[in-house]
Amino acid sequence: MRMMRKPTNVRRKRTLTTIREQTQCRFCREGKSYIDYKDVDTLSKLLTNRGKIFSRKRSGNCAGCQRKVKRAIKRARFMALLPYTT
Amino acid sequence: METAVKRLYEGLFLVDSAIAAADWQLVTDTINRILAKAEAEVVSLHKWDERKLSYDIGKVSRGTYILVYFNCDPLRIHEIERDVQLSETLLRVMILRTDRMSQEDIEKPTPMMVAETQAQAAAEAQARAEADATDDDDDADDDFDDSDDRTDDD
Repeated sequence: MRMMRKPTNVRRKRTLTTIREQTQCRFCREGKSYIDYKDVDTLSKLLTNRGKIFSRKRSGNCAGCQRKVKRAIKRARFMALLPYTT
Repeated sequence: METAVKRLYEGLFLVDSAIAAADWQLVTDTINRILAKAEAEVVSLHKWDERKLSYDIGKVSRGTYILVYFNCDPLRIHEIERDVQLSETLLRVMILRTDRMSQEDIEKPTPMMVAETQAQAAAEAQARAEADATDDDDDADDDFDDSDDRTDDD
């Protein structure tokens, strides 16, 4: 366990200093506990132009927020607010 | 024995825009009837937005969304969903419990309201601009003699 943790910490530190300065995802920064599926403007920013959901790596979301986003997008797709595919 | 604890739910109903435009009363009556059948207490019911659907449902390409908040027995939610599926006016419904939602999310103005306020503001701005413009016109019209206006043509 200890052997596993050490290299990830090193990698994380390097990315923090070199690539990104923000340490929290966009929803954590706003302090949102719930992501509304009716908020199409926010959700459509997390979709490719073919309607696919951006990866966590691309969107920068934390694991919890990515799950919330996933749920919200799938709800919005059911209500025809967002496309399944284009 | 009867312990029907009611919870607050948010329901978004989707109807064909053509039906909503032609007979709004029919749409609200249908929703109210379905909710009343499940003994739900409607807290608020208003039009959320009218927009083009991301994909056609049947042959419908434009839809009107109606946002309803209601208190209902959790065991009777599936009845509402089934009734919507059987209904010919309502296309789809999404019912969610609103416990996780903040009061802010619940009271957020609908896109329809935002558009209306913007339209109102725009109309006011335009009216003001027109008033200014007419004032300018009045100033210009003070000069009725236009014989001297074309002196530069030659």
